[in-house]
Amino acid sequence: MIATNGFALTHFQAFLLFAAVISIAFGFLGRRRPKDRIKYILWSFFLFLAVGIGIAWAMYPFSR
Amino acid sequence: MADEVIQQPQQETPAQPPDTGVRRERLAWAIGIAGWLLPGLGHALQRMWGRAVVVFLAVGLLVVAGATMRGNVFSSNGGDAFDTLGYIADLGTGSFYLAARALERDGADVSHADGDYGTRFLATAGVLNLLAALHAYEAARGRKA
Repeated sequence: MIATNGFALTHFQAFLLFAAVISIAFGFLGRRRPKDRIKYILWSFFLFLAVGIGIAWAMYPFSR
Repeated sequence: MADEVIQQPQQETPAQPPDTGVRRERLAWAIGIAGWLLPGLGHALQRMWGRAVVVFLAVGLLVVAGATMRGNVFSSNGGDAFDTLGYIADLGTGSFYLAARALERDGADVSHADGDYGTRFLATAGVLNLLAALHAYEAARGRKA
C-alpha cells in the first residue's frame, strides 16, 4: 500500500493512474476525430497494461 | 521604327509581404513558450479547447499526485548528472514546477515506493508538457493539427 498525504494508492492503482492519464493525453494530442481518439486511448491504455504486467511477470523469477 | 511592345512577364501569384513567414515563426515560438509556461495555454491560444483542457488536467494531475506522494522535485544544485536530468524534466512543467515545490513542504521521501513513483510522475508531467508545447508550436506553424 502506498501511503501518501493526499492519496492512498496501491502499486497497481498508481500504475493504472499513470497509464490512464498518459493514454488520454496521447489520444487527444495524436488524433483529431473523436472516434479515432477513443480507439487510440483504449489501444494505448491496453498496451501500457500489457507491457507493464508482462515486464512484472518477467522479473518475478528474479525477485528473491 | 516599328512599334515594339516589350512584354513584361506577368506574375502568376500575388506577392506576399516578405515578413509574413518571419511573423508566423515568431508567433509559433511565442505559442510554444506559452504552452510550456502554462500547460495547455499553447493550444488554448489556437482555440484547440479539448487539447488545452486535457493537457492542463493531465500535467496538473501528475504534478499534484507526484508532489503529494513526496516525489523528488529536483533543484538546480543537483549533485550529479541524473539530478540535472531530473531538474530539466521537472522544469518542463513550467509554472507548475513552482506549484510542486509549494505542495511538497515536508520534502521528498524516496525511501519508500510512493516517493519513487511520485518522482516518476513529476518527471513524466514535465516531459508530457514539453511534448504538448512542441505540438502547439508545430500546429501554429501549420505543420500539424
